[in-house]
Amino acid sequence: MIRQLICIIALVVTSASYAQHFKTYDWKKKPKLHKITDAEAEASSVAILKKHIVEYYLSDANAQPIRYETEHKIIRVNDDQGIARHNTVYIPMYDVNNVIDIKARTISAKGKVVELNKDNIKDVSNVEEYGDFKIFAIEGVENNSEIEILYTVEKDYEIYGSETIQTDYKIKEAQFLFISGDLESNVKAYRTTETFDSVKLDGTKAELLTITDIPAMVEEEYATPKANNIAVVYQCYPKGQNISQNMFWSNVANNVGMQFFPKVVEPKAQEDVNAIVEGQTDLTSFKTVALIDNFVKNNYTIVSNNNPELSDLKYVLENRSASDYGIMKVYAQYFKALDIEFEIVITANRFLAKFDPEFFVPGMLRDFLIYLPEEQKYIAPERFEARVGEAPFNILGNYGMFIQSNYDHYFSKIIQEDPDYSRIRRDMNISFEDDFERVIIKQDQDYFGHWAETSRAVMSLSPEQGVADYKDYLTGSGIDDKEILSYEHQNADMNITKYNQPFKVQTTIASENLLEDAGDSYIFQVGLVIGTQSELYQETERINPIEMLYPNRYNYEIIVNIPEGYVAEGLESLVIHKEYKASNGKITAKWDSNYKIEDDKIIIIIEELYKTHEFDLNKYEAFRQVINAASDFNKAAILFKASE
Amino acid sequence: MCRYLFIFLLAPLLLFSQDFKDEDYMYLKRHEHIKISLNNDAFNIVKHINEHGKFLTSKNLYYANETIGYGNFYKIEDIEAYTYLPEQDKRIDVDYIETQQQFDNMVFYSGDEYKTFTFPAVKEGAETHLSYKRIISEPHFLGSYLFAIHVPTQSAQLSVEFPKNVELGYTEFNTEHMALDFKKEETDTSFVYTWSAENTKGYKDEDDSENPMYYLPHVMLYIKNYQRNNETIPVSGTLDNLYKWYVSLVKQTDQKELDKVYAIADEITEGMTSDREKAKAIFEWVQNNINYIAFGDGYGGFIPAGAAATCDTRYGDCKAMSNLLFEMLNHKGIQAYRTWIGSRNKPYSYFDLPSTSVDDHMITTAIIEKDTIFLDATDSYVPFGMPSAFTQNKEALMGIDDTNYKIVKVPTQAADLSTTTITSDITISDGIVKVSEKRLLTGYDKVEFISDYTFKKESKTEEEYLNTTLALGNNKTGYSNILKTNFDNKSTPLELSYDLEIDSYLKSIGTKIYLNPNIDRSLSKSAVDIKDRTLSKKIDYHFKKDFTTVITIPEGYKASYIPEERSYENDNFGFRIQYVLDGKTITQHKSIYVKTLSVKTEDFEVWNDFIKGLRKAYKKSIILEQE
Repeated sequence: MIRQLICIIALVVTSASYAQHFKTYDWKKKPKLHKITDAEAEASSVAILKKHIVEYYLSDANAQPIRYETEHKIIRVNDDQGIARHNTVYIPMYDVNNVIDIKARTISAKGKVVELNKDNIKDVSNVEEYGDFKIFAIEGVENNSEIEILYTVEKDYEIYGSETIQTDYKIKEAQFLFISGDLESNVKAYRTTETFDSVKLDGTKAELLTITDIPAMVEEEYATPKANNIAVVYQCYPKGQNISQNMFWSNVANNVGMQFFPKVVEPKAQEDVNAIVEGQTDLTSFKTVALIDNFVKNNYTIVSNNNPELSDLKYVLENRSASDYGIMKVYAQYFKALDIEFEIVITANRFLAKFDPEFFVPGMLRDFLIYLPEEQKYIAPERFEARVGEAPFNILGNYGMFIQSNYDHYFSKIIQEDPDYSRIRRDMNISFEDDFERVIIKQDQDYFGHWAETSRAVMSLSPEQGVADYKDYLTGSGIDDKEILSYEHQNADMNITKYNQPFKVQTTIASENLLEDAGDSYIFQVGLVIGTQSELYQETERINPIEMLYPNRYNYEIIVNIPEGYVAEGLESLVIHKEYKASNGKITAKWDSNYKIEDDKIIIIIEELYKTHEFDLNKYEAFRQVINAASDFNKAAILFKASE
Repeated sequence: MCRYLFIFLLAPLLLFSQDFKDEDYMYLKRHEHIKISLNNDAFNIVKHINEHGKFLTSKNLYYANETIGYGNFYKIEDIEAYTYLPEQDKRIDVDYIETQQQFDNMVFYSGDEYKTFTFPAVKEGAETHLSYKRIISEPHFLGSYLFAIHVPTQSAQLSVEFPKNVELGYTEFNTEHMALDFKKEETDTSFVYTWSAENTKGYKDEDDSENPMYYLPHVMLYIKNYQRNNETIPVSGTLDNLYKWYVSLVKQTDQKELDKVYAIADEITEGMTSDREKAKAIFEWVQNNINYIAFGDGYGGFIPAGAAATCDTRYGDCKAMSNLLFEMLNHKGIQAYRTWIGSRNKPYSYFDLPSTSVDDHMITTAIIEKDTIFLDATDSYVPFGMPSAFTQNKEALMGIDDTNYKIVKVPTQAADLSTTTITSDITISDGIVKVSEKRLLTGYDKVEFISDYTFKKESKTEEEYLNTTLALGNNKTGYSNILKTNFDNKSTPLELSYDLEIDSYLKSIGTKIYLNPNIDRSLSKSAVDIKDRTLSKKIDYHFKKDFTTVITIPEGYKASYIPEERSYENDNFGFRIQYVLDGKTITQHKSIYVKTLSVKTEDFEVWNDFIKGLRKAYKKSIILEQE
């Protein structure tokens, strides 16, 4: 969608024909199995080669260059999972004008070669928003064989592009070959220390990036692995044109500005706005934008399909269906009508891409936000569950391009204005019934910020099973025999008009399992009342930088009433202190649990906090200890012994 | 598992049912009228669909997105859709409909398509109107009608109009407890059957429950035959007709280059003498060498790929694998039959519903020394001799020859065949519990472990994977010396062994150590929420777990408390935990069994008694005291 924001910069081409590289590039006539190490043989699959060639070719016959892309992969599969991962191939036909060739073969452990029967290539059209595909199954695959795929497609001319190199299996050798000949070009690689080498292919200028032994990208907790893969971006445009990155960005800012900042308010938009504010009292500027956000989310449907009218303002206002792009125009109209200042933010989901202000590629411009400078708040038009407040957590920490009403733009990291936005207050009062037959836990909780947003969304949108699962979480997960005696919540309506209104919940639960019998004594598994906390494992070297969902803080007060005639022992397991100090010496994350005894009560106070969502990879162990303090606390137990 | 059939019929239902509460949207009307005409032996079947919905809230405007799925045997025509806003008395038409395809986890390529569009201007109170025609080109696929779906329906109606020379059959399911009106009418040339129901409730999915078709009220239709010049021409709706049709399709299987297939069969079984040994070798070869990839476009969804092609490409779906087994086994002189079967997702019996809707899978049945052996190579790890778990207790339609067939029930496999035997030695050292444990897994326990390990472990380390799946001790349990042997599809038990260190597990207070020997608390989370649960609980297979845990009493300590024996036993499930003190060791024997494939709602109390009893027993700690 963002593509339509970019006017193709005028091309003045001077032709200079040269040979096309893909025509001579081929796989080996007589393939042989490659050697792999013992460790590589242990993995389900390993890429021997992953080579991607982007070739811009300018011929006398065409006014514009043609872009050819060649993909060549050789993959060793070692087990069923490896086979299942690689034996079906999906080639996207997005932007593709012509398939030059597709071929694939397998080389068995015994050296037998089975080549793909091209008649078995199937076409799949218009797959959701992904476009068309050519798909086929690899023929003749068995354990310890190699799958080799080589294809070349001819694509529309596009100035920009990107290619992700790293993936979820190891690559022994990766190559990215960028052939731009006499055209102007820029290339950049992310997250690798290797650099591009200038090479000449039959006299044609090209850049080659070679990286060996790229480890498999692994799923890690508190990480954004998909966005952390080694990748390259490139630009290619006519000779003699001196285009700076700023020129690209300004071009976008102008186009976006012209489309989104309206000069006039449509009558239908004015009518809507009048209805929205009609009869409203105490209309603060926050409440006004909240009312608009609520109105849009209760009256418009965001649709991803190829209907161009979904971006046409008049059509959208009438039909209440919009593309991600069309809905921005609606907000802009309403804000214009109410004279509310706003900026357009173009950014990306940090779990999928790291926005780079220093190199322009449209593929990085994936998400729109609206920024309200006066309130220092964001609107996420596409996220139904999000309402005016801090930026959505999947954007937090990424850079964004902020476009102002005069079409000026600036880049800024998207931060949380209120660092204490998301927090949980949880008070518990615990007593024992029927001579330690069961535990009764009364809880009173407030969920703020993203916690509140998620809670409201689940309560309003999830099916019954989802709501039941969430109630299980709210009342303390992992207590096998938990019985919910009472449950009540407030502020579950998503249409809030106050900033950071908490989702409140009061519950009473009973459990027998939290008590274990040991002769005439009872062991109370008090640590489990905070819900099951999973251990953060790290047996292999941590790869990804640490990124949490969002900064947050938990404050618990747990009162345990000691039954008459008993004394409590083993309380030292309640005391845990772990902290993470940032490079500037400040504590940015910690777990602190302690207790005191007042009369017949044990009062346990816990504070767990994360002041930021990003932590230093070099201090991973300290971070892990803070995270794991909660699972350490899970094991805290109190022994109740009859007092003598 | 192989589903080659009605994916697309269920798709719209499942798409909607997954994510949204039913209170936000409902159907005021959901009517279908099927008109069957017959002209010179050619059926012309048109289903007219007419739906009128209403948004009760604006919470789930997502319902505005409509998807109509259809496969190769259908065409969708004359879609008319609009939103009506009662407040303004205004109609806004849907003016854009897109044709899409989707990727499916189960079927690699099906050719199914989807018409997708969005009702405009929906909000609270808005009404949606949709009508279209579904042209059915294959008379075997009249399909079904659901009286209750994921959202409430005020008026649900199915009518079918057919010429008098056509015999129509129908079977109702789960309609016993609802007010369903049925009437037969007649015109000069046609009969009209009409079913109507009012105010049917929306259904809610529940975890671990049977497929919704087990409880949703619905009717299935089929054309039995028609008269032509006093001759009865069969179509569907009887077992004979169904079988005849299946035979006509499998006869189209490519028989080219079977010599290649025979040569492989000969090579695999070289030197073997008994039929059982040969059948086992062939079955395991197919399991190990043919990768499961499903194709389901058009009649390709019913006609197996040729056996030689399957050997060449090394992939295939259930039909392809069963056909390959069929060819190889028969070549080796082993009686083997093509077999159609419904997975446990299908609630139907061939006797109640002789139609293609009964089955969704193909296997091969071999008769060896009077034993009937069901062979399903789509399950790469099931040992020879056991059927795949999801075909247990289902009817298998075994094709004997071109006209003869037999229906045999796949037996439910006894709990003794799927066992986990666990032996653990527990010692205590410096307040840390050390365990040396070995697990022997057989049958479906082994199959499940291997397939989960292979496909769900992903990038987790072995330790993390075991810790999250076995959940032994506490969340700080450390694993070392992990060994797996017999990680294969043979009937020898899979052996899994490891050492554990469990920190902060035992309580040591004063002169006493409190140790809970139940580091494995299988089934403790399996109680059913009786208050809210309405559907039966599905269990994949019968199983048994036997634990022998030997605890060495540390030097200078004695056992001052050992829990008493506890048990709960009935025919379907139970457990027993016993302790024996012998000098410096305490041995705990624990056995748990489940011998049912489903816990019915009326048995929930009993099931919960079993789980509660087990939990109570799990709570008991041993006390060791300084001497």
